[in-house]
Amino acid sequence: MSSATHITLSQIERYWIHRFGDKLLLWVYAKLFAVMLALFLCFPKQQRMSHNNGIGAAGKLRIVDHPEFPAHPFFAPGREFPVRIRHASATFLDDAMNCIRSMSIKLSDHHFKSPFDIEMNSGEVSLFWSAASFLKFARLRGEKYGIEYRDYNRKYPNGLAGSMAAGRRHATSFHNLHYYCKTPFLYMGSDNIKRYAKYRVIPADNEPESGKEENPSEWDQCNQRILPHETRGRNYLKYEYEDRIRREGARYRLQIQTHPASDNEDPEVFNNMIVWDEDAHPWQDLGIITIDRTLDWKESTLTTFSVNNMPKTLGVLPAKSIFDYNSLNYLRAHSELARKARMLSYKVYGMVPPIPDNDNRNVSDWGV
Amino acid sequence: MSKTKTSAEAAISSAPTDEASIREIIDKCKRETRIEYHYGDGFFKPRMRGINHLELGRSKIISSPITILIEWLYVQWKRVRDFFGDLGKRLFPREGRVWCDRVDSHLAGQTIFAGDRGDGAPIHHLHLEFWGRTWLGHWRKFGETKTDKEGYFRLPFDLRQARRLWVRRVYFEIQTTTRVYFHEGKPRFHFDVWRRVELPKGDLIGMDYNLRTIRLDFWRYREGAYTPRAKVNASGDEPEHYSQGRIDALMEQVIPIELTKIKHLDQIELDPGSLTIPEIQADYPMNLTTCIEKHLPGYTRGDEWFGERMMNGMNRGTFQPDAKKKGHYWIHYFGRCWYESNDVYALPDVDILFKLKKNGLPEPVEIHLTGKLNSHEHDPWKKRVYTPKDEPDWTYAKRVARVNGAFNTEVEEHFAGTHLNSEQFAVACYRNLKLNPVAALLMPHLKEVSLIDHAADKTLIGGYIAAATALTKEGLEQRTRDIMGMQDWKGWKPMTPISKAHSCAKAEALFWDVVGGYVDRFVEDWKDEIQKHWFEIYCFSEDLVNHAVPVAFTAPQDAPPKGAKWKALADRRFEYYCQQYSFDPTLERPVVNGERKAISRITAAKSFHEAGKEDWQNLKDACRYAIMMATYMHTWINEHQYDDLGEILYSCGGLRYGEKPEGIMAPESDYGIAPDLERSTQMLWFTNLLSRTEYGFITRNEEGDVNPHFAELLEAKREEFKSLGVDIDAIESRTNI
Ligand code: HEM
Ligand SMILES: [Fe+2]
Repeated sequence: MSSATHITLSQIERYWIHRFGDKLLLWVYAKLFAVMLALFLCFPKQQRMSHNNGIGAAGKLRIVDHPEFPAHPFFAPGREFPVRIRHASATFLDDAMNCIRSMSIKLSDHHFKSPFDIEMNSGEVSLFWSAASFLKFARLRGEKYGIEYRDYNRKYPNGLAGSMAAGRRHATSFHNLHYYCKTPFLYMGSDNIKRYAKYRVIPADNEPESGKEENPSEWDQCNQRILPHETRGRNYLKYEYEDRIRREGARYRLQIQTHPASDNEDPEVFNNMIVWDEDAHPWQDLGIITIDRTLDWKESTLTTFSVNNMPKTLGVLPAKSIFDYNSLNYLRAHSELARKARMLSYKVYGMVPPIPDNDNRNVSDWGV
Repeated sequence: MSKTKTSAEAAISSAPTDEASIREIIDKCKRETRIEYHYGDGFFKPRMRGINHLELGRSKIISSPITILIEWLYVQWKRVRDFFGDLGKRLFPREGRVWCDRVDSHLAGQTIFAGDRGDGAPIHHLHLEFWGRTWLGHWRKFGETKTDKEGYFRLPFDLRQARRLWVRRVYFEIQTTTRVYFHEGKPRFHFDVWRRVELPKGDLIGMDYNLRTIRLDFWRYREGAYTPRAKVNASGDEPEHYSQGRIDALMEQVIPIELTKIKHLDQIELDPGSLTIPEIQADYPMNLTTCIEKHLPGYTRGDEWFGERMMNGMNRGTFQPDAKKKGHYWIHYFGRCWYESNDVYALPDVDILFKLKKNGLPEPVEIHLTGKLNSHEHDPWKKRVYTPKDEPDWTYAKRVARVNGAFNTEVEEHFAGTHLNSEQFAVACYRNLKLNPVAALLMPHLKEVSLIDHAADKTLIGGYIAAATALTKEGLEQRTRDIMGMQDWKGWKPMTPISKAHSCAKAEALFWDVVGGYVDRFVEDWKDEIQKHWFEIYCFSEDLVNHAVPVAFTAPQDAPPKGAKWKALADRRFEYYCQQYSFDPTLERPVVNGERKAISRITAAKSFHEAGKEDWQNLKDACRYAIMMATYMHTWINEHQYDDLGEILYSCGGLRYGEKPEGIMAPESDYGIAPDLERSTQMLWFTNLLSRTEYGFITRNEEGDVNPHFAELLEAKREEFKSLGVDIDAIESRTNI
């Protein structure tokens, strides 16, 4: 437009209302969500948002000696960190169900504080892709009788594909699953070139992955219930993990993928539903995690992770709106209140009991 | 037998007898009773509310001044509403611009035909659009797509555009081709919104939004119908709509006759003794036979006229050569056969033997009537033979033959052969032809037939015909189904003329040539596109075949009753129909679910490069046939209805047995065998309605949907048609009445 008088509503729309409004809305949504979580779930019910059923463990991480990934002072070659990890199943309290499994890592042997945390789930792609989609996902999650994503999956085929990718039934061990962080994070290395990074963990000995369902139908996928005549108990995976660590320990390979940033980046790069092409973005070894002891129920439950626990140069990417793919991490970063509310609840009401071994199956509460 | 002579018979002696003068009178009457069309709008004139309101009893016509005034106010209100509607369209145009900076989302799903039990087939190539409306009412288009061959779609759009705060509501639209028109010789398709669904805007969160399987009542086949029919809901969920012009034309023409019928019905209710058949007759416009009777009393009851009309009148009889006597031919009109019937109306089998005269016109020499002629007999096989020597029975027998001929022509040739036959092509066409140019070839000729057939179900098959003829609704439905079992495009040829006077057959052949030229050129001109979208032709053919009725009498439920006589009758009918409908029984026809279908397959290949070498010709032949049926074949009967069925005592749908022992073998003066008063006024109302309210002519091209080439080819033959007594301006482009 040549003159100021020609400024049309749509321009104002674009340059002012959109930018500011979008950001404001995102902030409001994120804060509201955290408050609601804290007030209605984490504090009164003493629960995590999703991964209540888990087991913690500890050991160390050693960064590889000859990195192939772009150099970064935090991941200096040969550097060693104490680690805590937590393996969990979302969201039911029954290991024998078809659940998403997770591995979260913190580079400290403390339940809360850490210089670097990363949370990862099974499956290469996720069930949601933006704050808008996550909130829709949360709203449609009608958890009942071992079914929770049906309503969401019916409307959002990509969500269904995500559950198919992440669901694991009858895994032989937490140890042999592959875990992906899915969303990209900032990676500003020693060369000061801006990059984005994704992380994953695979077993160090390349043990084949277990628990994948072969070509499930839409309905099979929505039905996460235990199979008829199931012989595995509610805690079988956690017991197996304890046995394994006591017997031989566990070694994992932490890997990284990097993508050089560009000025006019295709937003789809940040879409955690789209896998980065492995030829252009090969997985490179970051370090080896060696686990030698498991944590008891209390310590496992106290151990918590946060996307805010990251050096500035490796942190969360900024987001513009609730539709921005990066808004997913924005939401997580703003949910600190929820974690703290849970911690507070233990101080007020005491620790929650371990999940009982009983025949109350397909449930998401303790069901004693 | 009574020997009463009618006044007409008495007066015949004073009329001219030489052929030239008679011809002159006939031609004059044809001109005088010819139907003129002038469309216009009247002020304070009774109006009808629409074609769906036509009823046998009192149509919803408004005639009192108060209701007219209310109606007038209603019309004014409608005008104001339309004005604002138009204004709205002008203020908030739906522009073609697509509001999309970056595609990051899709609406996904599949469209299928709704089925009564489970899912129907996928709907391919359906046009879909995604729109939003801002708080200020402006329309914004976000994207569009078409369903693929399996009915799946992924409509791309920009999430940020659809989720803008400005945008108040978002709509998913399913659009269909509602009109084809020709512009600079090229067909153009006009899409209209067929279903608009508001989507919850908040559900759009990026990636794919699954609209899942969308079951549509789109050109759905009506379940449980006797023949392939479109499902038309009374609620207005119609697969298509009449054009406004067609509705207006009907209103204009039908009002006076509607008022006449109402007057008669009131009179019958209040004082039936005050009305007679001649009075009813006199209240309706003069028709061809009453006109001739005025100048040549008795002529229309004579042998000459009988032969001429059987050959070149509405019936366009099928002449089967006599096996032994040269120059002799038979026309067969089958009676009630094994169909469910009542015992009020007579309907014997009629076999008429003709001898060709020197001038090529047929002269009746024998009439055989088989079956009940009065209420006392019960033998359906009793046969009686009449010759011109048997006066007055000969005259009565001719009337019986005329009446049976009219019944057969209306039910079999008109309703089954043209209406139902065209409808099966229409449904298959609208369901399947979307991108293929053949849609432009067929749609103009197949539109509206499904709607008029739906109206006919109620008013004719389930109404007037069932109450004014020997067959019940059930019997009529089975009979029309059996006739549909004789309709196939493959190998169809027009009637072969048997003499130089056989102008009806000649005109038919001439028109067949015109359609052939038109179809051939169109298909060749659009060859590449037609072949590219051959999949649609395949689906069209599959729908035609899979929904077609089985070959007549072959399926268990269509079989004649057990017994040699019934079987012989069925065989005789089958053989005769083969000639009548040009049906080649030796063709190998597709078998579907154990039924041998009447209709041949056009192609069995989903893509053109896999198509058989006959398929290209098959496509041309099938289109040519469908257009022939929907235009010429229908027009012929439809517009001659008032000529041959416009005089109650001359011919009608059925003669009643009456009380007397001689039954239907009685003079016209015996009103006990004629239709009753109610049926009489209804009959004239119907034949007037059907013949007078034609709209949509090839040469007039009121809606710009007729391919100019078709009209050109026809125009080039104007004189030739005229010499055969056919006015090309009266040939309809579609079957819609
Ligand atoms: C693809 C993205 C995501 C991944 C891979 C992911 C992964 C995980 C994992 C593995 C845990 C379990 C940690 C543990 O073992 O204690 C977890 C917990 C949690 N996640 Fe997510 N998450 C994602 C997105 C989100 C988002 C968008 C939110 C929004 C607020 C969120 C909020 C939380 C919260 C509140 C907890 C519980 C923390 C606690 O109480 O300790 N996550 N997530
Ligand atoms: Fe008709």
